[in-house]
Amino acid sequence: MTANPSENSASETASALEEFADRVAAAVGGRAEVSHGTVKVRVAPTAWKDALAVTSSDLGLVFLSWLSAVDWTNDVAVGDEPGEPVEERYELLCAVSDLSEGNLAIISTDLDHDSPSIESVADVYPGANWHEREAAEMFGIDFQGHPDLTKLYLPDSFEGYPLRKDFPLLSREVKPWPGKVDVEDMPENGTGPSTESPGS
Amino acid sequence: MDRTLAHHLSEAAVSVELETEGMTLNIGPQHPSTHGVLRLVATVDGERATNVRPVIGYMHRGYEKLSEVRTYPQIITIINRIDWVSGFANEVPFVVAAERLMGVEAPPRAQWIRLVLTEMARISSHLVFMASYPLELGAATPLFFALRERERVLDLLESVTGGRFHPNFNRLGGVKPVYAAGPTTKKAGMDIPSGFLAETRDAMTKVLATCDEIENLVAGNEVFLARTKGVGIMPVDVAASYGVSGPNLRASGAGFDLRKVSDYLPYGDFDFDIPVGRNGDCWDRWWVRLEEIRQSARIITQAIDGLPSSPLQAKVPRIIKVPAGETYVRAENPKGEMGYHLVSLGGLGPYRLKIRSASFSNLSILPWILENALVPDFIAIMGSLDFVLGDVDR
Repeated sequence: MTANPSENSASETASALEEFADRVAAAVGGRAEVSHGTVKVRVAPTAWKDALAVTSSDLGLVFLSWLSAVDWTNDVAVGDEPGEPVEERYELLCAVSDLSEGNLAIISTDLDHDSPSIESVADVYPGANWHEREAAEMFGIDFQGHPDLTKLYLPDSFEGYPLRKDFPLLSREVKPWPGKVDVEDMPENGTGPSTESPGS
Repeated sequence: MDRTLAHHLSEAAVSVELETEGMTLNIGPQHPSTHGVLRLVATVDGERATNVRPVIGYMHRGYEKLSEVRTYPQIITIINRIDWVSGFANEVPFVVAAERLMGVEAPPRAQWIRLVLTEMARISSHLVFMASYPLELGAATPLFFALRERERVLDLLESVTGGRFHPNFNRLGGVKPVYAAGPTTKKAGMDIPSGFLAETRDAMTKVLATCDEIENLVAGNEVFLARTKGVGIMPVDVAASYGVSGPNLRASGAGFDLRKVSDYLPYGDFDFDIPVGRNGDCWDRWWVRLEEIRQSARIITQAIDGLPSSPLQAKVPRIIKVPAGETYVRAENPKGEMGYHLVSLGGLGPYRLKIRSASFSNLSILPWILENALVPDFIAIMGSLDFVLGDVDR
C-alpha cells in the first residue's frame, strides 16, 4: 500500500484529460478548456442541443450529472462582486459523464443577460427536465420546448429569480451577517478576529 | 339461473365496458415512507398509476444562495446538512474542490481519516436503509438489528468528530487537528482518540455479523421476496439518462463507482469489490446496499491497519482566499454521485456553488418508474431508491 496517489501518474492523467477534452470539443464543434481536473467545452447557444445529442449518442457520455447556470454580472446584491468587470451573461452548464472511465465533460454556452433563452434538452437527457425547471425558476432562463416548465422548489406565486446575483437575500437586509466577525482565533499567531467577510 | 343472478351478471358485463375515470390520489407531503416531506400526485386507474407527479421543495433551504454569502469554513457547517444521514460524506467533495483551486493537498493521514469516516457514513446510511426498507414492507425486526449497529458506528464517528450527524470535521487542507473534547482544546499533537482503532476493528466485526443476521432475516422471507423481486425494474440506460447514480445505478447492472475511477480520496490503495445487480429491481437495490456495507467494513479494516502518520493539516493561510478558477469535484456518496461545482473569483467565499446531490436525480426518475406501477408497489419502489428529502431539496 502506498500512502498517496503516485506522482508520476499525475502527468499521465493530465494528458488523458486533454485528449478527452479535445475529442469532445471536436465532436461537438466547441472549444475545450481544462482547469483543475475539470473539462469544459464551450459551444454556441445555437449548437447547444445538437452538442448534447452528440455527447449522449456518439461519445457515450450517457450519464447526466447535472445542469445549471452561473449569473455573470457586475450588479451584485449579496456576496462577492467580481474584482474586474465581467461580460454580463448567463453561462449555462451541463455536466455529462460516461459509465466506464469516469470521464466527465461540462458543456457550456453563454446566454443573453437580458432575455436568457435556449432550447430544452429534456428529450435528449430526460433527467434534464427537473434541472431545467430549477434553472428556470432560479435564474429566469426560458427553456423552449420544455414539456412542463413550472416551478420546482418555489411556490407557484413566487416572484423573482433567487439565484440571480441582483436578488437580495432578505435575511441579510434585515440583519447583517453575524458571521462577519470570525470569532475562532488561531492561538499561534494571535492576530485577533478578522473583520473581513464575503458578504455585507 | 334465477333472475337475481342474471341481473347481477348483466350489470357486471356493463361495468366492464364502462369507461372509468382516472382518480387523483395524493400521497404525502407527510408520509412515513417519504423520508422527509415529499408529495406525490398520482392519477390512478383502478390499482394502476397512469401518471405520477412528484411535488418537491418543502425542504428547500437554498444552500446555493447561502453559500454565496459565507466563507469557505462556514460553508462546511451547512453542507453536511444536505444529506443528513451521511453528513460527513457531504463535506469531502467540497473541501477537495476548494483544495484543488488552492493547489493544496491534504496530508496522507488526513486523507485516510476522511476515507475511514466517509465509509462509516456509508455504513450508517445503508444501515438506515436496512432498517427502514423492510419496515416499510411490513417487517419490523431488521430495524432493531440495523439501528443497533448504526449506533455503534455513529458512536465511533462522534468519538473522532464530536458530532453524530453533522461532524463539521473537514478543514481546507486537512481535518480538524484536535479531538474536540471541549470548545477550547488546542493541545498540539492530539489526534484521533486513543482506543479508536481497536474499537473500530471490533465494531466492523460486529457490523459484518449483523449483515449476516439481516440477510438471514430478510433474504429468505417470502413476503419480502414477493414484494421486491421483479418490482420497479429500472434499465441501466434509462437510469443513466435520468442521472440516477450510486447503488441504484449499480443495481441496474452498471459497475460504475467513482471510488474506482476518481482520486478525490486514496481509494486506489484498497482492495474492495463493487457489487452489481442483475435485474435492476427493488430486490437488487436492497442486495447491493447490503453488500456495500460489507465492502465498506473491508475498506475500513484495511485503512485502520495501515493508517499512515503525518500531520493532519497542510499549511494554509490564516484567512483563506481561494484563487480564481472553477472546478467540479464529485464523490461516490452513500446515495450516489454528490459533487460541487465551485466557481471562485479569488474571494473569501465562492462566487457560485452548484451542489449536485444524488437524491435529486435519483428521485427525478419517479414519474418514469411509477408509471403503470401498482399503487401497493409505490412504497416498495420509492423506499428502494433510498432518497432523503434534504438531499433532494438542498
